[in-house]
Amino acid sequence: MNKPLQILIVDDEELARRLIREYLQTHRDIEIIGECENGLEALQAIPEQNPDLIFLDIQMPKLSGLEVLELSGRDTGVIFTTAYDQYALKAFDLHAVDYLLKPFSQQRFDEALAKGRKMLGQANPGLHDLLARPISKLERIVIRDRGQLHVIPVDQIDYVEAQGDYIKIHTAAKSHLKTQSLSELEAQLDSNKFVRIHRSYLIRLAALKGLQRAGKDAQVALMLNGAQLPISRAGYERLKSML
Amino acid sequence: MHPILSNLRRLLWTMLAWLLAGLVSATILVLTGLAAWQNALFFAIPVLLIYGFIATSSYYVCRSLPLAKRSFFLVSAVFGGASLISGFTWLGICIIWNKLGRALGEPWAGIEISPQLSIVLAIGAVILYLLAILAHDVLIAFENLGAAERRAARAQLLARDAELQVLRSQINPHFLFNSLNSISALTSIAPASARAMTLELANFFRLTLAFSEKTKITLNEEISLCQHFLAIEKIRFGKKLQVKITLDPLSLTSLIPPMLLQPLIENAIKHGIRDLVGGGTIRILSIVRDGWLHIAIQNPVDTQPSSMPGNGTGLKNLQARFASLYADQARVSWVKSTDNFSLEMALPLEYTANT
Repeated sequence: MNKPLQILIVDDEELARRLIREYLQTHRDIEIIGECENGLEALQAIPEQNPDLIFLDIQMPKLSGLEVLELSGRDTGVIFTTAYDQYALKAFDLHAVDYLLKPFSQQRFDEALAKGRKMLGQANPGLHDLLARPISKLERIVIRDRGQLHVIPVDQIDYVEAQGDYIKIHTAAKSHLKTQSLSELEAQLDSNKFVRIHRSYLIRLAALKGLQRAGKDAQVALMLNGAQLPISRAGYERLKSML
Repeated sequence: MHPILSNLRRLLWTMLAWLLAGLVSATILVLTGLAAWQNALFFAIPVLLIYGFIATSSYYVCRSLPLAKRSFFLVSAVFGGASLISGFTWLGICIIWNKLGRALGEPWAGIEISPQLSIVLAIGAVILYLLAILAHDVLIAFENLGAAERRAARAQLLARDAELQVLRSQINPHFLFNSLNSISALTSIAPASARAMTLELANFFRLTLAFSEKTKITLNEEISLCQHFLAIEKIRFGKKLQVKITLDPLSLTSLIPPMLLQPLIENAIKHGIRDLVGGGTIRILSIVRDGWLHIAIQNPVDTQPSSMPGNGTGLKNLQARFASLYADQARVSWVKSTDNFSLEMALPLEYTANT
């Protein structure tokens, strides 16, 4: 006999979790290994319990369902549940990621479960794309650094620097390292607020103090926090079109 | 922008008027026997057209003294001074023009400018300049009137937008679909609770529809709407959502615009309580004091920045609504600290006639 399908239910509303529990009762080879009521709990439970399938609510305290996935690196066996989130739904459709729209019927639930079971263990490229290119622009960036969680509102970023496979996000308080490419982050941020001034530098326009000449045809960006960043020729054109 | 110089049609009409003034002046010169027709026309028409341009400067004289700041002495000094300066300047131009005419040596050019005529010309010019000031004042008044009308129309539009927003927020899809999901869960677990929640939802929407047709309702009515809303949200969020309502008995029958508090409470949950792992308490307080109705709403917020910060539309709408309903007579302000959001409003105290 097969090992039962291990399931984690993540939703901040108790009744929503109980409904999923109830719908699962009609299925026999299932084991509910846990319930989480906020994003932090889910972030802890996912690597610890390594469930086969996660029913994941999007809007939750502390971390959203999407942030939980990004931080945990999980890219398989996820079924989103949400009542209404026009941006998320658009993104799900775009990347062919399955989701349950609350309130949902037993029939629709069974379909999603069957599909999830069939795809078991296969990485879903759609999930990865969904996180890399969200439809609505990021409002905050979440970083896990040696077990500690940092939440940075994008309005507090001064500039972001590429460092090999990492990016270094500079804020007034401190800098944070994150494994991501600068281009990917650039695509996630509001292009009216952030400008790529150089291959290795992305700045928040409001944190820019001014420009300074540095020799022939070369400019340096003076930031409000005192940093001086190089500007490439293409970066200068982009910056000029925004000032 | 100068209302005449910046508008070609107005400029042409103005110049036509001054051309007529030139013809009238020439006629007077002829009728008083001071000059022959050719000489009178050659003299009067150019100088009056020039004066037409000089007189448009009165627009700036008018603008320098806004209507609200005028006193008799100031007006006499500024307007009189400006008129005298332009009048005498013009007299100089007249004399120079006449000299140039005479220098031609032709019989049809040049007139005799006696000291008496000089005085008449100067006085006439001063009076014309004063008339120009008057005309510009009227023009400016019309312009201001137009601007005021546009402002009023804009304010009305904003208010209508705000009302629409209020109505739309009542059918918040999040609230509705999540509530239906809760009912769906309750039907098998606790059928009686499912029924109770359905009834609360029905009551909430029924009251919303009834109130949205009215311009004012009592605070008590608004609170009962909020109670239905909160009853539903308490089923969804359980113990996480606590509410403490403290109302001044005097405030219960006072009148407020409908749907004033419910959207604020909805936001207190959406941007406050919901983000908190342990939940929290929303406090609602009303006080009547010195002819004012004060209402305060407070809720804890998570210290960690939200993944979906509000864009402040709700609060801006509230301000626009107050501005259109009460002009300057109502206030709303809010403060967000790291772990708390508090909003206060003050409205003029109103009761219906029969209460």
